[in-house]
Amino acid sequence: MSGRRHAPDWVTSQGHYAGSVSRFLAFIIDAAVSAGLFSLGLAAANLVWQVVTGHSVHWTRANIAVAIIFVLWEFFYFGYSWAASGRTFGMAVLGVRVVRADGAALDPWRGVVRALVFPLSFLLFCLGFLGILVQREHRALHDLIAGSCVVYAWDARAARLRFLARDAEVSPNASAPGSAPVTISADPSA
Amino acid sequence: MADERSPGGPDWHGFPRYPPPWMILSLLASPILGAVDPRDRLRNAGKRFTDPAEALAQRVAERVIDLVVEVLDVNALMRRLDLNAVLARVDVNEVLGRVDVKTLLDQVDVNDLMSRLDLDALMARVDVNDLVQRLDIDGLVEQTDLGAVIARSSGGVAAEALDSARSQAVGMDQFIDRWVQRALRRNHPGPAAPG
Repeated sequence: MSGRRHAPDWVTSQGHYAGSVSRFLAFIIDAAVSAGLFSLGLAAANLVWQVVTGHSVHWTRANIAVAIIFVLWEFFYFGYSWAASGRTFGMAVLGVRVVRADGAALDPWRGVVRALVFPLSFLLFCLGFLGILVQREHRALHDLIAGSCVVYAWDARAARLRFLARDAEVSPNASAPGSAPVTISADPSA
Repeated sequence: MADERSPGGPDWHGFPRYPPPWMILSLLASPILGAVDPRDRLRNAGKRFTDPAEALAQRVAERVIDLVVEVLDVNALMRRLDLNAVLARVDVNEVLGRVDVKTLLDQVDVNDLMSRLDLDALMARVDVNDLVQRLDIDGLVEQTDLGAVIARSSGGVAAEALDSARSQAVGMDQFIDRWVQRALRRNHPGPAAPG
C-alpha cells in the first residue's frame, strides 16, 4: 500500500493567515471594481440628470460633493461586504476571507469597524499595512483595531482535483482506467 | 588331637562333609523356588474378585457420565463461562500456527459464507470517514475516468484561471514570508492559523 502523495503547499495552507501578495491583489481588484462601479453610477446619474432636466452636466470626482459620495461608497462597498460575508469581490477572487482574530466568523459590527478604520492604514505612507509583511499573524493596523485577520479560504482540494483531472486528460497514459491500482493508505495521518 | 579330615567334621572349605538333610533339601529346592512364586496362587484368587469389580465400576462411571450429560444444560454452562478470561489465556498465534489455512480455505464455501453475512450490520460498524481518509483520491482521479468527469463538470476557463491565480498568489505569499522571516532573523515563526 502506498501512502498518499504530498499535497502542494497551497492545499495545506487553507485556513492559514493570508500573505501580502494575495491581499494586495485582492485590494487592487476591489479598488478597480469599486471605482468602476462608482464611475458607472456617476455616468448613469449624469444621463438621468440630462434626460430629466435637459441640461448636460459633467460630474467628476474632482467635485467635492462627488468626492464625498465616492468616499461613502467605498465605505459601503467594503463595510457591507465584510459585514455580510467577510469577503469583498476581490477577496473572493483571490480566495481570502476576513475572520475574527480567533478564527471565528466575523461579526457584522467588526466588519463595519474594519471599514471605518481601514483608511488609518493609509496614513503615514501606508505604514499601517506594514503589519501584513512583518507581523507574525500578518495583521495590518485596521485588523488589530477591529480584532480581525485574513485567512486563505478557497476550495483548494477541489482545485487540486481539477489540476489532476486536467493532467490526466492531457496525459493519455495516466488517464487509462485501471492502468495502476488505486491504493488505500494504511496510515490515515499520511 | 582330632583329625580335621575326620568323618562329620568340616572339610577344608568350612563346608560339612556330611550335611544335614534339611540343607540337602533346601539345596535341591532352591532352583524350583526361584522359578515359581508361591504367592501367585494368592494373587490369582484376588484377581478373580477385582476384574469383575473393575468392569462394574467402569459401567457405573459411564452410566453416571451419560446421566450427567443428559441433565447438564450446556447452553447455561456456556452462558456462565467467562469466554474473555478463557480467550485471554489462549495463545492465538500458536493456535493459528497449527492451522493449515490453505486447506481450511479450500473447504470454505465463500458464497455460502457471504450469503450468511449481515452486510448492513457489518457496514454499520465501518468508519467510512476513516476509510475515505485512507483512500488515495489523487490516484483515483488520475487512474480512472473520474478525472475526466471532474474536469468536464467543473473545469471551465474561469475556474482554471482562478485556480491558477490563487495557487500562484499563495506561492508568492510564502516566498515573500520566508524572506521576511529570514531578514528579521526570526527563529520561531508565528502561528500559521488563528485559534
